[in-house]
Amino acid sequence: MSDLALSIPQARTARLRSPATVLRIIQTICIFIIALVIVSPLLLLVVASLKDDRFQILADMGSFRAYWVSNPTLSNYAEVGHLSGELAFGRYLINSLIILVTTVCSGLIVNSMAAFVLAWGSFKGRAVILSIVIALYVIPQESIIMPLVIMVSRAGMTDTFAVQIVPWVASPLYIFLLYQFFAQLPKELLEAAEIDGASFFRAYRSIFLPLSLPALATVSILMGIETWNQYLWPILVTQTDYARPIAVAIATFFGQDSIYWDRAMAASVLMMIPILGLYLAFQRWFVSSFIGSAVKG
Amino acid sequence: MGKRLLWSLVLSSVLSASWAQAAEKTAIQVMHQGDPGFVAAYGKVAERFEAANPDVDIQFIYAPHDAYNEKFSAAVMAKQLPDVMELDAPFLANYVWSGYLQPIKPLIDKDLLDDMTESNIAQGTYPIDKDLYAIGLTDSSVVLYGNKKYLEAIGARIPKSVDDAWTREEFEGYLEKLSKLDGVKWPIDTFRGYGIKTEWITYAYGPILQSAGCDLIDREAWKSEGTLDSDACVDALAMMQKWVKNGWVVPQSAGTNQFFAEGNPAALALGGHWVYAEAVATMKDNIVVLPLPKFGAKGASPNGTWIWAITKTSKHPDIAAKFISFLLKDKEYRAYVASQSGYPGLKSFAAESPLYANGGPMAIAFEQASKTAVSRPPHPAYPTITSAFMQAVDEAFNGGDPKEALTSAAKKIDEDIEDNDGYPPFGDGQ
Repeated sequence: MSDLALSIPQARTARLRSPATVLRIIQTICIFIIALVIVSPLLLLVVASLKDDRFQILADMGSFRAYWVSNPTLSNYAEVGHLSGELAFGRYLINSLIILVTTVCSGLIVNSMAAFVLAWGSFKGRAVILSIVIALYVIPQESIIMPLVIMVSRAGMTDTFAVQIVPWVASPLYIFLLYQFFAQLPKELLEAAEIDGASFFRAYRSIFLPLSLPALATVSILMGIETWNQYLWPILVTQTDYARPIAVAIATFFGQDSIYWDRAMAASVLMMIPILGLYLAFQRWFVSSFIGSAVKG
Repeated sequence: MGKRLLWSLVLSSVLSASWAQAAEKTAIQVMHQGDPGFVAAYGKVAERFEAANPDVDIQFIYAPHDAYNEKFSAAVMAKQLPDVMELDAPFLANYVWSGYLQPIKPLIDKDLLDDMTESNIAQGTYPIDKDLYAIGLTDSSVVLYGNKKYLEAIGARIPKSVDDAWTREEFEGYLEKLSKLDGVKWPIDTFRGYGIKTEWITYAYGPILQSAGCDLIDREAWKSEGTLDSDACVDALAMMQKWVKNGWVVPQSAGTNQFFAEGNPAALALGGHWVYAEAVATMKDNIVVLPLPKFGAKGASPNGTWIWAITKTSKHPDIAAKFISFLLKDKEYRAYVASQSGYPGLKSFAAESPLYANGGPMAIAFEQASKTAVSRPPHPAYPTITSAFMQAVDEAFNGGDPKEALTSAAKKIDEDIEDNDGYPPFGDGQ
């Protein structure tokens, strides 16, 4: 055996023992544990949705059996799918998707336009309007919800899709987020566009908007989650299953006397899939927006 | 061209005929809550009602249980109250006082009115005018469930009727013995897992105070200070706090089913009548149903559940009442409610429910309705009363001083009553 052959395992051992390697192993273990903690509720949800006995789901809570199913079944999904009439989950799911897509699309247009005007518009009082927008953000939704109910009912909007979309399209938070992004871009871009004869709107549409994809992705995801999880507002302003979202339908499983954990878990998994899809679709830009904001000086 | 015109005419006449038919129908809106089983059952009743009354269209407005009051408030503000509404009995006085409901005695079928149990009449009656504003097929109660195996192991006396319920000393003695028994993790599940956002605390624990000789409010003077913060109430709450401190009560974090969970970690359960169906599915014959213990000179048990009323804004109260009467008499609906261990609020329904009949496994629960049932305070300030009491109990269970917690609750209740000038005509009597 040559000296070289002997030296390789020694070098590997030395590398393994080096403080940097040990630190990396500890870091990896920590990250793995944190990831497990974060993922565990979702795992519990999926596993519970595959159990056929709601009492068993409850009995297993609080022990590691909550993460294990010996005889997995899709019967809960079948039951949720088979519900009809007032509890037709397919209908609720489609309603939720319509509300989600319309709110996010129109929200991106309205909020980005408002943000762009506030960032680069040439009119007096921009700073005052921006301050008002930021001030609006601190008003809790609960404090305006009942006056809003009166307004939409007087406008004859109850039990429509519009009543669940229109009030939430313009949002101070998203206007401010996009404003910050637009304001960080160099002013030369707007000047160059003006020299080339582009209008203010054209500069927004053709130059600033394409550059803002990471910020728009962030807003899409945040707005999507917010819209998807709306619960109290749809209850207050809708009467029938015509335009009600799935979050309201899931609440049916949480009755006065008992909770149907099995079907609630299955319906929750179904509810989670579209929003997970939205996240995966925008993940690349979403992550890059965070990286971008982290490296900016 | 001529053919096209002819077809257009035929189509438009068919469409206008069907539109006219739909327009002729009287729409009755029914606001309700309930789990998927009940929602489906109501839907089927509506189908049968519409088949029997082709000129009526029943439109349901579902509101989840935990957001029902918010939905009701929104309906009031938007002036969109339904014709028929399901409501939780203790809130009836507030709704009548606010002018939302109308008396239903002249509208509901007389045979149904004659069929009501005393407790059912009480839950639907407004005490000021003594008029009936709501009616239900069911009522409710809370009993003490026991694990037969554990009770036999400690040699506990098994009461045979409400009259020989356990005394406070017996009850606390058994809790202590059970806490030392192998296999028992917690002597009693008081369903703390329901939290403080439902009516559970006032509904189930209020009678413990009443049995101990006090109440949430003086029911003649309608004043809480001097009653809720009296020595008897403080002593009763301190007693419950002791059970929690001793580790005898299933904690809130453990959920709501430890009595019938696998391994039966809880030996007793202070549970609603609805728990029976769930418990028997897993425990079979190992359950005994006991009356609520006497914590003082007399026994007390709760009553009241979700019942049906007609709003004052209804343009068709006669049809609304016809639907309620149809619902309460519907055989298939009754069969479904019976299968869910529904607690009878009509004598005929009691006769159809072997569970609650003499000798039935839940007979003691039904006996409580006539012997110990005490309605929650039928006062317009009830929403404040229940919220203040729930907070006080929660505070005490989390280690707070029972005297301070109850004093603060009593003050809040009286302040609300004063702020509303005594809720006249309640205030007029003072």
